[in-house]
Amino acid sequence: MRTIEYLTDPALASFFWPVLLTTLVIAILGGSMSWIVVVKRLSFIGQGVSHSAFGGVGIALVVGFTSGSLLGELATATIVLAFSLLAAFGIALLSGRLSARSDTAIGIVLSVAMATGFLLYSLAESIAAQSSAPPPQSLESILFGSVTQIDTFDLILALCALAIVIATLWMRRHRVLFWMFDEAAAPAFGVQVTRERMVVLALLALVVVVTMKLAGVVLATAVLVLPGAIALRLSQQLRPVLCISVLSSVACAIIGLILAFELDTQPGPTIVLTLGALFGATWLPRLQHRSTTASSAPSSQS
Amino acid sequence: MHPHPAIQVDHLRFRYDKATDDVLDDISFSVEPREKLGVLGPNGGGKSTLLKLLLGLLPVSRGQILIFGKPPQYARREGLIGYLPQKIEAELSAPLSVRQVIAMPIKVAGQPTPEDDQHLRSMLDLFELSSLADKPICALSGGQLQRVMIARALARRPKILILDEPTVGIDIRGQQQFASLLNSLHESLNLTLVIVSHELRTIVTGSTRIACLARTMHFHGSASGLTTSILEQVFRHDVSGIIPADDSTPPDHNCGGCCADH
Repeated sequence: MRTIEYLTDPALASFFWPVLLTTLVIAILGGSMSWIVVVKRLSFIGQGVSHSAFGGVGIALVVGFTSGSLLGELATATIVLAFSLLAAFGIALLSGRLSARSDTAIGIVLSVAMATGFLLYSLAESIAAQSSAPPPQSLESILFGSVTQIDTFDLILALCALAIVIATLWMRRHRVLFWMFDEAAAPAFGVQVTRERMVVLALLALVVVVTMKLAGVVLATAVLVLPGAIALRLSQQLRPVLCISVLSSVACAIIGLILAFELDTQPGPTIVLTLGALFGATWLPRLQHRSTTASSAPSSQS
Repeated sequence: MHPHPAIQVDHLRFRYDKATDDVLDDISFSVEPREKLGVLGPNGGGKSTLLKLLLGLLPVSRGQILIFGKPPQYARREGLIGYLPQKIEAELSAPLSVRQVIAMPIKVAGQPTPEDDQHLRSMLDLFELSSLADKPICALSGGQLQRVMIARALARRPKILILDEPTVGIDIRGQQQFASLLNSLHESLNLTLVIVSHELRTIVTGSTRIACLARTMHFHGSASGLTTSILEQVFRHDVSGIIPADDSTPPDHNCGGCCADH
């Protein structure tokens, strides 16, 4: 098996262990946030934020930060996070203050940020060509992720993000739950809904930034939507939903990664497809029940 | 006896940012503890604004509001006011049980005490929700959900309960059941009730005092003082034509129906 070889061969292990561990941490992150995203219908906002991150990547490339050095990695992550936060808050501001519908606000921010990203990426390419510097990372790896870009820095970044997300959600759990359940009535009970919304959007932006190298700006939202959707298909109780969300996310990350290693496919899309397959599988009992009911109906009539 | 009125409103004026006119113009009234005040008025008459001001959700810039002698923000922080919103706009897909929803205001306010836990159990009993306590909120019927929301409003043992259009969309029988539930709550929990509605039946049957509000205070007193001419002044058209007669209401005012068509 290639997976065993990758993880035990000393020459390959130094590359694949950070990939495996970073993927697992991202899976826990996605699972922790995902059910909130699904219940609060923030999937499209997540999509907007993750696509908007491309604008941040473009800025980092033009400025000349590369993933070769620790400082460059840190600067890139900071710029992309700042851009994602700006996009998240921009969407919230446009949706609320300017009376624009939230899907309109997301559409505006997403398209402007993507267009900015593409233009800046082209600019970075021509700057690199003129100065004989190495070309920027491929567009495909930015859009759909590339594990070859993941290193120890990304693992540390993901662990920091995990600590921030878990600590914030734990400390604000009652307020976030109230906001999530009943945003309209929450202010009368002392919950500042704008603050809770901003906190969750900031955490969303953080998860998107950490997930980008694994799944790219296009697929980053999948880890923020599918585990929660799976969990809410299987339970309506808080603790089971949280557990299923995290466990399904981790399980699909491991299975997807093994499949990617064995079939020599891109890990990001493979993990997303594994999550999609599990979500599809949650519908099987109902479909089976329907077909059983349908087949038993004529016999009962006769 | 409490030294302060439950609610004291003095010369209250309110205007939203960038608006040219006051939404509320020189409103004054008071509500004694254990009174049942019905706030009646047309849509756009300032009822919701008054409610937000009482809840401390909007700043009082001109005039004064005191809740048991304290500013509304303090009263809200201390849990003196319970609130039942007009519509249930909650995300019913949220993975929460009945017990978790009712306990939310207590948990947001801080660490629950043993008294809070005891009160939570008594709320579940009072609203006949004990057998449903661990059921997911999405499994409830509309009536059960409304009981959960009232129990949530009473979770912090408030002295005042504000109900915003509590009977909108409920049939006559449901309205009667709701009125008797409110009466029993009023008796058993010593609550001061403020019912905001544009439905005359809800206000007349559920209140000991009525305030008619359409930007200014057109009437403030007992139901027996409420006349058709006052209602016409408030709703700005002939109300007698659209209000059916009802034996349960003051005979000389013919105001026993509801004004839902406004």
